[in-house]
Amino acid sequence: MKNSLLSWLVFSPIVVSGWRRLETKDKRLRLVIFLGLGALLWAGTFWGLWRVLTYFRGIESFGDLLAWRLLDMVFLTFLGLLIFSNVVSGFSAFYLSQDLELLFSLPVPIGSLYRAKLSETLVASSWMVLFFGTPVFLVYGVVYEAPWEYYGLLVLGIIPFLVIPGCVGVALVMTLARVFRAKRARDAMMAFAITCGVGMYLLLRFLQPERLADPETFSGVLGYLVSLNAPRHPLLPSNWMVQVVAPSLFRRPGEEVFFLAMLWSTASAFVVMGTWWAQAVYASGWSKAQEGKGARGRPWRFIETLVEKASGIFPQNMRPFVVKDAVSFFRDASQWSQLLLLGALVIVYLYNFAAMPLEKAPIDSWYLKNLMAFLNLGLAGFVVAAVAVRFVFPAVSLERGAFWLVKSSPLDLKSFLWAKFWASVVPLVVLSELLVVISNALLKVSPFMMVLSSCTIFLASFGLTGLGVGMGAMYPRFKVENVANISSGMGGLLYMILAVGFMGAMVVLEGLPVYIFFYSRFSGQDPGPWAYLLAGLCLAAVFLLMILAFWYPMKRGAQALEEYEI
Amino acid sequence: MIELVDLSKNYGAFQALKDINLRVREGEIFGFLGPNGAGKTTTIKIMAGLMKPTSGKARIAGYDICKEPTKAKAQIGLVPDRPFLYEKLTAREFLKFVGTIRGMGASDLEAQMEGLLHTFGLDSWADKLIENFSHGMKQRLVMCAALLHRPKVLIVDEPMVGLDPKGARLVKEIFRKEAQKGVSIFMSTHTLEVAQEMCHRVAILDRGRIVAQGTAEELAAMTGQFGADLEEVFLRLTAGEEEGCL
Repeated sequence: MKNSLLSWLVFSPIVVSGWRRLETKDKRLRLVIFLGLGALLWAGTFWGLWRVLTYFRGIESFGDLLAWRLLDMVFLTFLGLLIFSNVVSGFSAFYLSQDLELLFSLPVPIGSLYRAKLSETLVASSWMVLFFGTPVFLVYGVVYEAPWEYYGLLVLGIIPFLVIPGCVGVALVMTLARVFRAKRARDAMMAFAITCGVGMYLLLRFLQPERLADPETFSGVLGYLVSLNAPRHPLLPSNWMVQVVAPSLFRRPGEEVFFLAMLWSTASAFVVMGTWWAQAVYASGWSKAQEGKGARGRPWRFIETLVEKASGIFPQNMRPFVVKDAVSFFRDASQWSQLLLLGALVIVYLYNFAAMPLEKAPIDSWYLKNLMAFLNLGLAGFVVAAVAVRFVFPAVSLERGAFWLVKSSPLDLKSFLWAKFWASVVPLVVLSELLVVISNALLKVSPFMMVLSSCTIFLASFGLTGLGVGMGAMYPRFKVENVANISSGMGGLLYMILAVGFMGAMVVLEGLPVYIFFYSRFSGQDPGPWAYLLAGLCLAAVFLLMILAFWYPMKRGAQALEEYEI
Repeated sequence: MIELVDLSKNYGAFQALKDINLRVREGEIFGFLGPNGAGKTTTIKIMAGLMKPTSGKARIAGYDICKEPTKAKAQIGLVPDRPFLYEKLTAREFLKFVGTIRGMGASDLEAQMEGLLHTFGLDSWADKLIENFSHGMKQRLVMCAALLHRPKVLIVDEPMVGLDPKGARLVKEIFRKEAQKGVSIFMSTHTLEVAQEMCHRVAILDRGRIVAQGTAEELAAMTGQFGADLEEVFLRLTAGEEEGCL
């Protein structure tokens, strides 16, 4: 009882400070926007899965079996996600959080500290799974007209189901931190996890799920799905969870009570064993984490040399920022490991075009290919915007606490901002051109569409970069503890909305010139001088839009930094 | 060299600084003392161009920090109270970065950098990542960065925090040498012994107002405590509501 009270006392400041964060108007607005977007995603998941399950229910012989298998996969995926998420959150909560110095100096037993930090980790890593899991579970209940026992068992089962991966993740964290220094272990774990994730993603993509839409292969794929036994290992908690809810859901006889007892007893045992393990290794691991918080290695030395040499193309006052940012990026595993994700994204994006069966389409393939190339422009722009919100928008905030150095130096803040712009625009142009030119080449589009697409994406990259750097300066987050959170704020959200709007406007404006091009090709007629004039005006408007998108935010960003008080 | 005229700063309804007036001469070490929350760091931030005053002027080497920030900042070397640095750079890379954004030539920068790294005992750490440095080592590195471009004005917020006795002595010696070369040093500190030992003149700030300024002897005379040390004078001048609690 006393220990539980102590655990709560240690945990309560986190709850109170979380609540306090919502006290400003800006934060409340952000919460409303996030909840709105979340509700949309929630509704989308509900609708999509409802359609799938309704379809499955209509398949007479093995529809229920398919839905059961899907539930197996859902819980297995959740289990994997929860372990990964608990590992990442666990490192921060158990070893890198700023309150630890105070907590370790207090006469709090390690067991109480462990349970408080475990609760913090569980909340941080489980809410998203719960949020997106709820529509999935509800859809199952609605489609299969589940009795109330289903919902009751679900609630009873989900608690230990969340606790088990939490304990496993935290135990893994404590073991790794005992062996390595905490931050080094976390970086290595992040890189490893991202590599595994990318591998899985590529594997799944190359399995060609689009074959599900091809009637010729349909029965084969379904048969394959039905025969999949991998997610049903008897020792996996995801399987126990399915065994708890599936019998009432599908109205089959089962051993719900036994599996519920398995979940609860395992979760309780894991908490107790976790406390023992914490008593054995947590204090010494935390002590080790204090010995040096960073990685010693500089694995990308050749890139650093390359960047230093290449930086010669930038003006003198911008060069130090370009070099510093690039060097810092490649020395931070949590930063460069995201390039793996980016690489996978590019490969899958291009693979989608290579695998597209356009030749089998019932309409003219020349028209279809060029139309796809035009639509690809918007899609590539969206991908580039998503990359920019992660890499370009945080460029200014990445100065973090050291921004005083820039602000107190005689350097003009406009030059600082332009240095950030040029350092970001070069890789973004390379990425966007790579996406558009290669996908167009795979589609074998006409030279007109190739030139138009590559010029447009070139201009769009400038617009998206200017918008990102400028808005990053207007909404800086120098005090953020975790750099991954920079783009998740109000500014990042606003940037994403404006970036998508910008890309949409670019595509709409180019619609007319492309229509004229298609018209002249199909009708064999000259569309006339007025059409050319209109098309020219549209292209000029695209150019003006790009100028506006990068010039105005850059100007406002520089003003905001001038006004910013440290 | 440093001139603050009727300087005030408000944070919403709270007035953090009220009509601050002071002047620091060439080659003078000026101590800026005051209890926690008195407004010392706010004054320093305004002088360094990190913050804008609500009213009044701050002139550095003749340049108004608000009207000619680039020229004023070029004269300043700043050591803030908390040394946030670029953790993923090495000490040498960091100094190179600072020197370049301050427009130093490559050969001059190289020579200054090596000299300062040696003076502050950081030669063997020059190629190590800053994230592995202790607080004291970061403090030394910030001082190297502040002195790199040979500033005319050195603004220092709590210079002795985190320094070991050897480091503290080194810093005192360097400050004296810099002052002899004509550099004006504006130093905010809680360590009254340091202020007594080093400063030519001091100002005592309390709740946003300068309550006294002059040499230690002048301040003692002002409070009627002839021969008293700076600590006694400071406690007498800043004694307010808190005294009743003691």
